[in-house]
Amino acid sequence: MTPELVLLILVVGTALAFDFTNGFHDTANAMATSIATGALKPRVAVLLCAALNLVGAFLSVEVALTVTNAIVRIQNPDGTPRADLLADGGHSLLLVLLAGLAGAITWNLFTWLRGLPSSSSHAMFGGLVGATIAGLGVESVKWIGSGSTLDGVVGKVILPGIASPVIAALVATVGTWLVFRISRGVAEATMERGFRWGQIGTASLVSLAHGANDAQKTMGVITLALIASGAWTSTHEIPLWVKVACALAIASGTWIGGWRIIRTMGKGLVEISSPQGMAAEAASAAVILSSSQLGFALSTTHVATGSILGSGMGRKGATVRWGLAGRMAIAWVITLPASAAVGAALWLGAHALGDWWGPLFTVAVMAALALWMFLHSRQAPVNPDNVNDAWEVPDSPAPLSESASQKVGS
Amino acid sequence: MGQFLAALDAVWKVVAVGLLLGAGLPALFSLGVRAHASGRLGWAIASYAVVGVSVFAGIAVIVAHGLGYKI
Repeated sequence: MTPELVLLILVVGTALAFDFTNGFHDTANAMATSIATGALKPRVAVLLCAALNLVGAFLSVEVALTVTNAIVRIQNPDGTPRADLLADGGHSLLLVLLAGLAGAITWNLFTWLRGLPSSSSHAMFGGLVGATIAGLGVESVKWIGSGSTLDGVVGKVILPGIASPVIAALVATVGTWLVFRISRGVAEATMERGFRWGQIGTASLVSLAHGANDAQKTMGVITLALIASGAWTSTHEIPLWVKVACALAIASGTWIGGWRIIRTMGKGLVEISSPQGMAAEAASAAVILSSSQLGFALSTTHVATGSILGSGMGRKGATVRWGLAGRMAIAWVITLPASAAVGAALWLGAHALGDWWGPLFTVAVMAALALWMFLHSRQAPVNPDNVNDAWEVPDSPAPLSESASQKVGS
Repeated sequence: MGQFLAALDAVWKVVAVGLLLGAGLPALFSLGVRAHASGRLGWAIASYAVVGVSVFAGIAVIVAHGLGYKI
């Protein structure tokens, strides 16, 4: 076994682990409102979401091989790796990918522990930016696109990151206001019953769009790694096993369910009812689909959070917990630099330890941090049984009645 | 500046489609719920049907995109 093969195996494994965290981090985007209003039982909701993510992942036949081109210069425009990065058997490129993905996973798990929805795509971009700066220099990062083509960190991360929650909040506010205006005088029980169906339909649409959009990013990264190490040559196709593995990883992550984040989004931000839930999910679906049509790289997480806030703003007398929303906004702002810092640190550590031990070190540090965060989460577990408990102030993802259930969950 | 204008160009389009479909469809659905509650089943079914068809159209967009078609 050569160091290159070990490195390739670690990159593929880490990419699949990232895909898994992407799934469980983002279950909330589609299903938090349906779980909070009782439209779907928690376990049914995550199962439905996982199934739709699986289907969505297989739908994305389009090759997303150039995913890293948005923010770093490690690939040529056609998707092949930069020639100078292949001189050492692809080692430099693979190490950047490994450290970047490990940084992204670490940040995803940290925000999950804190019950904060944050963008998995921004985490991955951040990790790659950090590892690229450490490994290849600042000039290999694409900071801003040229002319009117939205590209680089500014055009693909910062501008959409600022715009998406605002757009989604606006749409959901108008939608919620209209819904309550039109259905004034209808009995509340009738409203809840009727809108549950609308809620399930729109939430399913968001789940499907998520699977189609997010799984192919990981597929692209794994295929890039395979090309860099000479195990694959086509830039027009993705190996079938990569597609199957990524689809299963994102779906199983979704099925496990990031209950802490589901709780924050469903119960924390706004006390949500079925009509609000439907307005929020319809806003999310419309914004996500129209922006991906335009090639405007919105984050599902930012859109979903903005929509839920909007559903609170559009209803007279509803409480919106702005303190919590502010904390999320801070988490979004620091997602890119924080993942970048971890990605850069892991690259430097790996580089210092050499070809054999370096990559193992990166994965070991990431695994140790992941284990620590998992154990920490056990102190106040959130699971399908307590995900809908009343939200206590001060804001906290963990319910106060944590002793009530000690079952394993996430 | 170019990036900012390009983003603005995308933003207004997303807002327009978002308001039309993202706010319009729930509004239409609530017309259905209202009609349903007052016993006008025909109107209720018509409203639900339009919303249902739109959801399927959304699925069709995702599928077509996935298969690489430009719509």
